[in-house]
Amino acid sequence: MIAARAAASLLRHRARTALAVLGVAVAAAMLLDMIMLADGMRASFRAMLDVRGFQLRLSPRGTLPFDTEATIGGAGEIARLLRANPDIETVAPVLGAALHVRVPGTADVSVVGLGVEPAVQGDYALVRGREAARPDELVANALLLRRTRARLGDTLTVAVGYDPQLRTARGTRRLVVVGEGRFFYLAADQPAAALPIATLQAMGGPERADRVSLFMVRARPGADVERVRAWIAERVPRVTVLSTATAMAAVDQRLSYFRQLAVILGAVSLVVGFLLVTTLVTVSVNERVGEIAVLRAIGVARSRVVRQIVLEGLVLSVAGAVVGLGLGLVTARYLNGILKAFPGLPASIDFFLFQPRDAAAALGLLVVTGLVAGAFPAWRAASLPIARTLRQEAVA
Amino acid sequence: MLHLALALTLLAAAQPPPERTIAVDERLAADLGLRVGDRVVLRARPEDAEGDTVRIAAVTRRGADPSEIARDDYRVRLHLGQLQALIGYGDRVDRFAVATTGDSGTAAVLRRVNDAAFGFRAYRSRDVAVETSRTFAVVSRFHRAIGVITIVASAIFLLCIMLLKVEERRRDVAALRLLGVSRASVVRSVVLEAAAVALAGSALGVGIGWVASAIVNAHYQGVYRTPLVFSLVTPGVVTLAVALSVTLGVAAGLLAALRLVRTPPLALLGR
Repeated sequence: MIAARAAASLLRHRARTALAVLGVAVAAAMLLDMIMLADGMRASFRAMLDVRGFQLRLSPRGTLPFDTEATIGGAGEIARLLRANPDIETVAPVLGAALHVRVPGTADVSVVGLGVEPAVQGDYALVRGREAARPDELVANALLLRRTRARLGDTLTVAVGYDPQLRTARGTRRLVVVGEGRFFYLAADQPAAALPIATLQAMGGPERADRVSLFMVRARPGADVERVRAWIAERVPRVTVLSTATAMAAVDQRLSYFRQLAVILGAVSLVVGFLLVTTLVTVSVNERVGEIAVLRAIGVARSRVVRQIVLEGLVLSVAGAVVGLGLGLVTARYLNGILKAFPGLPASIDFFLFQPRDAAAALGLLVVTGLVAGAFPAWRAASLPIARTLRQEAVA
Repeated sequence: MLHLALALTLLAAAQPPPERTIAVDERLAADLGLRVGDRVVLRARPEDAEGDTVRIAAVTRRGADPSEIARDDYRVRLHLGQLQALIGYGDRVDRFAVATTGDSGTAAVLRRVNDAAFGFRAYRSRDVAVETSRTFAVVSRFHRAIGVITIVASAIFLLCIMLLKVEERRRDVAALRLLGVSRASVVRSVVLEAAAVALAGSALGVGIGWVASAIVNAHYQGVYRTPLVFSLVTPGVVTLAVALSVTLGVAAGLLAALRLVRTPPLALLGR
């Protein structure tokens, strides 16, 4: 009965109700997008960091991994020290360098080169082929294969740079492509190759000898990661030891703008939805004060009137939310496409990531908003002085 | 004459070499409590045993560069030769900045350098600027998209509010019509009222927007320690916002007024 009366009240002014639902839908879409933005990039970044289970990363002191061209010297000794710790399961050294691949007849292709130990690497997943087990082998990503028109088994001429004085390429090697990999931490528009770290160090000459850009460390199951982090920080003071949590904090700091924007716009969306529903239900109640007074006069309980009016607000909010959730997913996809164009952003990072709990949070917030929005007009309706209202209505 | 030259040479040999100086940026000076005249030791690598003791000669302020916004690093400026010696870079540089005599001169220099050089390329400064501000271009595109969504939401909200506002005048309109006021006059008065409300709301909105913009600038300039202006309230933005809200307000008022005057006055009174 209450539901039927609430529906009848809303359907009495269909255009007005439709417009209100549309308004709430846009606000709901924005709210969902902002919840996805606030949560999505963190979840996406965490997933990227955890992809191979490395909990700790060692970079040159005072830097973030690959944030500068700085490298860590004495890499062999550090690796031996780390591997001797019984709490550490895997140590994966990585050396980064810009490479140039010669393509006959066209300009050289600039490539992100990663020197890795193939048996323990955590930078890519093999899509096809095999790991670069020998010193003269490499694993390429799909973009590099496309740009060089190379296939598995082909040989590429790779250099680490040019010597302007000698006018010749430096550190040139001929390397066989033995696998195709999907690189976790690189942008989609970056051609990339992974080769044995010893090969890349040798190609770089004395500047790169026994140096790495980064160590990735995986602790043994059950080991206290924070204790391992503190142990490394104490024993190897030349490096900054980043745990997943500290890396997340650094990302939070750099991308705090987007989180704050999400909170502000999400709050504005909620306020807009709240104002729309409150205004509509208040006007609706104002138009029906006589009807409500009659209902109260013939014995309809105050709580029943309150429930009906609160239900009207709730129906508007939920209807708007349902339409808005679909709309929000479409706009989130569009906005994510814009932000994915950030230069150098790893391909696996999404700013807007849909998680069912986001939809539940948006729906929950809108339901609460609808209830609160209906509360004021419901209180007004329930506290109408019956006799005076009836007299005023009769005079009017 | 010979004696004088010899004396000057001996004097120069007796003087200690001039102390080397650097400039640090405001951020580093503030975080480490450094002041002009302080002495610091520079090392190329943390593990290097010996460093280069230098005196801070200046504290510099960064320019408003969007490409550096998220970078929380410090800047130290050294004389070129000093930096080359410190990091063992030899007689090398990362780039040259070249001033030309004009557009045609720039084109000629680009052509000559790129035809003759091996191992490096010359670019126009504006091309470099476009490349380095790609991050900011993405953020700008994102803001525009968010702006469009906000405008759509605001437009619907405004339409809804104006329709409700006019609908509230049912009884007044019915009374006016029963008194013999023409439909056109009723429509004009309702539209005028809607325009006045929209204009007043716009003025208030511009004020709120201006204050919000000042808060945004103060907050993010503090967070990112940059003089960059994040939010600008320009005459164009104000004109767009006011024009949009007044147009929507008048349109909503007109729609609602037309509906009201087409309804018989007694029906408006609920009879």
